Amino acid sequence: MSDRPLFIPVILGTARQGRASENVAKFVFGEVLKREGVETELIDIRKMKFTTEDAGEAIKDAQFSATCARAAALVLVVPEYNHGYPGLLKHVLDTNLKEYIHKAVGVCGVSAGGFGGTRVIENLLPVLRELGLVTIFWDVNFSGAQKLFDESGGLLDQSYVRRVDKFLGELIWMSKVLRYGRENVSI
Amino acid sequence: MSQSNKITCPDCGAEMNHHAFKVDYGSDHSATLDPVYGATLKEAHACPRCGRIELRTAGKSKRH
Repeated sequence: MSDRPLFIPVILGTARQGRASENVAKFVFGEVLKREGVETELIDIRKMKFTTEDAGEAIKDAQFSATCARAAALVLVVPEYNHGYPGLLKHVLDTNLKEYIHKAVGVCGVSAGGFGGTRVIENLLPVLRELGLVTIFWDVNFSGAQKLFDESGGLLDQSYVRRVDKFLGELIWMSKVLRYGRENVSI
Repeated sequence: MSQSNKITCPDCGAEMNHHAFKVDYGSDHSATLDPVYGATLKEAHACPRCGRIELRTAGKSKRH
């Protein structure tokens, strides 16, 4: 089993102004940072400059692709917009393919309402599967996201610490198993 | 057991592991169209030493 650290970036999946997902992503990023043997970075899709005049791997961003290639897993923080995922997130994810194959992905759904992005997670799973990613059976659902954090971005509901802990535990386990598989188990 | 030819890691020179086949619907298929899948079939490789990944076009399937 490799002793290289796992690199697990957290991707904030919306560019919307006033996004509640930003506090969620920062919180989850902070939890990933605490994990021994794991390196991470917070990626904000608002800061990416993908053209809308084309799509897919034709518009690859070298830095984002290199980050995904290096990653052992991804954490996606995804708000639910009209029962679906942000179009910009799909546009960004579609720029890679080889970078995702047989890597783990975990999704944190975010909503203003009570379901915590349950629908967006269910809608996103087939997309992730087709990209070659391996989804874990733990999600984190951030309900009523506008009220979960104080004005400085501090988490008000500490139960999310435990929920994210279980989520990350499973994601890290799957990351290790898949890395071993990618590097040692032939098809 | 992988039927593909092994490839060498361009970063560290180790023999890479072929761990997946993946149909790529997004790439240009003009020269690589697989008759079974209607798109390009690719092989995913990973280096056991440095972790580098590669994706290359697989041999075309035979129609039965």
